[in-house]
Amino acid sequence: MTQLVVGPFNRVEGDLEVRLDVQDGAVEAAYANSPLFRGFEKMLAGADPRDALTITPRICGICSISQSVAAALALADAAKVEMPQQAKLAAAVLHGVENLADHITHFYLFFMPDFARPAYEGHDWYDEVVTRFTATRGTSQKAALDARARLFHITGVLGGKWPHTLAIQPAGVTRAPTAAERVRMLSTLKGFRRFLEAHLFGAPLEDFLALESRADLATWRTGDAGLFLRAAQELGLDGLGVGPRRYLSYGAYPMASGRTTRAGLWVDGQMGAFDPTSIVEHVSRSWMTGAAAHPFEGYTDPDEDMSETGYSWCKAPRLDGLTAEVGALARGIVDGHPLALSVAADGGVAARIAGRLLEIARTQIWLEEWVTALDPAQRFMGEFEVPKDGRGAGLVEAARGSLGHWLTIEDGRIANYQIIAPTTWNFSPRDENDAPGPLEAALVGAPVAACDKTPLSVQHIVRSFDPCMVCTVH
Amino acid sequence: MSQIETFYDVMRRQGITRRSFMKYCSLTAAALGLGPSFVPKIAHAMETKPRTPVIWINGLECTCCSESFIRGAHPLAKDVVLSMISLDYSHVLMAAAGEAAEAALEEAIEKYKGNYILAVEGNPPLNEDGMFCINAGKPFVEQLRHVAKDAKAIISWGACASYGCVQAAKPNPTQATPVHKVIKDKPIIKVPGCPPIAEVMTGVITYMLTFDRLPELDRQGRPAMFYGQRIHDKCYRRPHFDAGQFVEHWDDENARKGYCLYKVGCKGPTTYNACSTVRWNEGTSFPIQSGHGCIGCSEDGFWDQGSFYNRVTDLTQFGVEANADQVGMAAAGVVGGGIALHAAVSALKSAQKKSQDHVSENEEA
Repeated sequence: MTQLVVGPFNRVEGDLEVRLDVQDGAVEAAYANSPLFRGFEKMLAGADPRDALTITPRICGICSISQSVAAALALADAAKVEMPQQAKLAAAVLHGVENLADHITHFYLFFMPDFARPAYEGHDWYDEVVTRFTATRGTSQKAALDARARLFHITGVLGGKWPHTLAIQPAGVTRAPTAAERVRMLSTLKGFRRFLEAHLFGAPLEDFLALESRADLATWRTGDAGLFLRAAQELGLDGLGVGPRRYLSYGAYPMASGRTTRAGLWVDGQMGAFDPTSIVEHVSRSWMTGAAAHPFEGYTDPDEDMSETGYSWCKAPRLDGLTAEVGALARGIVDGHPLALSVAADGGVAARIAGRLLEIARTQIWLEEWVTALDPAQRFMGEFEVPKDGRGAGLVEAARGSLGHWLTIEDGRIANYQIIAPTTWNFSPRDENDAPGPLEAALVGAPVAACDKTPLSVQHIVRSFDPCMVCTVH
Repeated sequence: MSQIETFYDVMRRQGITRRSFMKYCSLTAAALGLGPSFVPKIAHAMETKPRTPVIWINGLECTCCSESFIRGAHPLAKDVVLSMISLDYSHVLMAAAGEAAEAALEEAIEKYKGNYILAVEGNPPLNEDGMFCINAGKPFVEQLRHVAKDAKAIISWGACASYGCVQAAKPNPTQATPVHKVIKDKPIIKVPGCPPIAEVMTGVITYMLTFDRLPELDRQGRPAMFYGQRIHDKCYRRPHFDAGQFVEHWDDENARKGYCLYKVGCKGPTTYNACSTVRWNEGTSFPIQSGHGCIGCSEDGFWDQGSFYNRVTDLTQFGVEANADQVGMAAAGVVGGGIALHAAVSALKSAQKKSQDHVSENEEA
């Protein structure tokens, strides 16, 4: 058996190191280490609860609105208030734009450039991939960066700036859009749809959304999506990197009539309910002190000796004692979308990318509906006062999966604040029962050629989760 | 290595036409506030000077600076700067991975010894011998020292590298430390903000690449061309401050009318940055325009000044012994009071914050 340390990984958000035990040309065991700790939960203790709205988004420069929405919902839950219906729409527009942009960043800047590596020379799709996706030079990359920057005009209009938007508050949003701004946002969305249809899908969005099964998807040949599918089929990426096949979603985008996508836990073809009280964070293999606890009870105290049993700053969240994979694919599956359910049968690298492509198309259409429904004459902000004592949870769906904030207020100050980010779920270390986290499980069996220090299979599997390492540990 | 590669060579190699190149030169001059006479000077510099390499490293951070940077407003300027940077080393954007990436870094250091600019995003945590941020098996602080040793100058991107930012908030669990407190023997230019505005980032780096020197800095080490203006002085809501018209609650009628956000905690009066002029997301807007006060993210210590929603109560450093309430009363009674204040304040150009002003915990008017 040989040991291989892969990392630091570039083209992922933040720092990551993966240790692999390799036997007979394949990964036998994997250990994910998140080597970056900042201690946000410790800084929040004692602060004015409203300051969570400014501090937590700065956990991450890529999914800052997700953190901001989670903090706002946790405060709203503690204060027993709710946003007016129009504010929910505006918050969903801000959040949807960020999630959409994150998926685009992942596909064009982080994931696809791996297929332009010299190792793939000779495949009939290779030249096309090099032209479109070579890091920092590809033609499609340029188009995507420009389209993405223009899409962010919407966060400019509603949020003032991005990243680290401040507009989302517990009882609403600070900006009531004007009629002219509503029209401007609609035209921005029209522009983004043009990019999606010209580059990513090479066809009308509705055509892609009409796909219902793996077999349908396998025939898709247009756009950058088609190019990926061609490569994926030839390289067998559907069977590579299969996770625990337990998919969790808190349900995305709260609206007056409930969440836009369903919340739940899907295990081997069975849909079940999601019970937030059954979440427990284990710390036995983390460099953390304390015992396994629900986030309302848990605390964050790094083990400064970095004792031998631990190997990551990341805690290990478990639902009913078991791991769960989160992300766009999980959301599609839990929401019962036929294409997502169909690719769930594979559950590997290709399924995760397909889940994201599907969500890109769906989110564009949601955004068009939401902006159309904005009514500048209505209220966008309600009453909010920080309660003297109380506690609340803010559960949202970030681009990379389920994000939760758990907040306890005592005497008008934050007494405890715990955060579980999407990649905390996906890239968690082993737990008390020595069960590996979803990535660690997905890496088992990945082929590793002798003397290959950066095996491509490992690169594909890791990036297919779209890890956000700065969120993971925070 | 006998052939000296110039900026112009690189640009042409990247498929940028002569016409676009000249356009880039005039854009650069405009962005930096230089007159048209500078255009041929910039062009000449770029045609004859060897390309200045840039190495970009990331420490304890959230990547918001990179995020901001890749959304620079002018596609041409962004493309040019981005392609020049990516030639050397950028963890977030480059193609290579793992050992190949580390090898690329070493090669760039060796090849451009003493000549490259080091751009740092994030900062080193010093607690526990730096173990809270590990890069390639070593604490980030070691990588920082290693790469800084042979750098010509250092750019500290964002509030993290410049000041510490929120990760250095009390109790600063990892002892996150700004770059200038670790590296003391190199010229350092601070480009604070959380994140800095994209146009400010491209402007600073373009200036350094073009003229091969640091731009003029203010006393805190920030480029004066972007950080010489107080947000409050260029804010489009300023007339409402002078008229004593304030938002009292997020949901009140005054918020709809776009009144001044001072009373809900806006830090515009003590913050120096280009937000109210350059604005964000390609000039679309900025926080105050979205109805939320400025949090002062380009100022040292903005994360530990009490709540972000407490108002700045004391503006005495401007020689005006008044807070907003008094200004409002004065403006109601004396015509022209606001104008006098404005003139007094505009006369001050450089940052004089810190120690003089403080933020109170009380909320009563």
